[in-house]
Amino acid sequence: MKLLCCPVNGLRPVSEFAYGGEVRAMPDPATCTDDQWADHVFNRSGIPGVKIEWWYHLPSGVWFHAERDVTADRVLRTWMPGEESAR
Amino acid sequence: MAALRTSPIFTALEAHSPEWGEHAGMRVALRLRAENAANVDTLALTDVSSLVRTGLKGPGAVRWLEAQEIPVPQGFNRWVPLPEGGLVARLARTEFLIEDGWAGGPVARLAAALRTTAPGVYPVPRQDCAIDICGANAPDLFAETCAVPFALDPPEARIVTLTTMVGVGVTVLRRDVQGRPCWRLWCDGTSGPYLWETLTSIAAEHGGGPMGVRVLHGDISQPVAGTQGGRP
Repeated sequence: MKLLCCPVNGLRPVSEFAYGGEVRAMPDPATCTDDQWADHVFNRSGIPGVKIEWWYHLPSGVWFHAERDVTADRVLRTWMPGEESAR
Repeated sequence: MAALRTSPIFTALEAHSPEWGEHAGMRVALRLRAENAANVDTLALTDVSSLVRTGLKGPGAVRWLEAQEIPVPQGFNRWVPLPEGGLVARLARTEFLIEDGWAGGPVARLAAALRTTAPGVYPVPRQDCAIDICGANAPDLFAETCAVPFALDPPEARIVTLTTMVGVGVTVLRRDVQGRPCWRLWCDGTSGPYLWETLTSIAAEHGGGPMGVRVLHGDISQPVAGTQGGRP
């Protein structure tokens, strides 16, 4: 069973989670160009490596960050947004 | 006067030809026709959806509850009992479930107060399916249906577990009744019939089954006339 550690609820089977995509900075829609906005909306990075992602614990409704090596599908740490104390 | 609320698993209970009572405007199965009272010590599932509950969430929820003189669990995923027999459960960080006991509690007052806007406080109406699961074989049922071993948690820790059971998102905590190990489980009402049917069928393999509320919780309601083993 694959496990993921929710920063609030602890270690749980990965079936209790939903993937929310890579954490990406949103360009300012008031000042960015159409190309920049379209790039943000439609394009995703497929480069393998360590990425910071959004994950969601379904039963409790907790959104959190996970640092994951997508090449090995190994989660390195998880934490609540705005809190750097990783688990 | 007819009951205004219906349990999410009313139809499943009706199949057991129960003696009906009424609590908080909802029909309650006091005793099922073929129930085995000894199951209360082995493994029994009881519908307690009629208990009144409400919820709230938001960054101002803790302060709001304290202003209402409601005890707040200090840790995440913890619960505290209320003097009237109810409970306050802290779900993750800033969401709370408040449930009355059989004799009443503060839920009506809190629900009315939540109609007034407070900064950082958002009401969460609750119409859950609620099930009490008790008996010595309950941990076996949980081990078969859930990946999280919450039955191993010490009862004095008052831990609330939010997880999935047979694919259904549930909130569960242990609150012993009359010295018997008992877990209360809430799920969305729409998932209630599936969860009830699945758990009762597995419980049968562990020597248990469904039960009315009377054996576990006593006389919480007067029987509704003419329903001793029949349709209300």
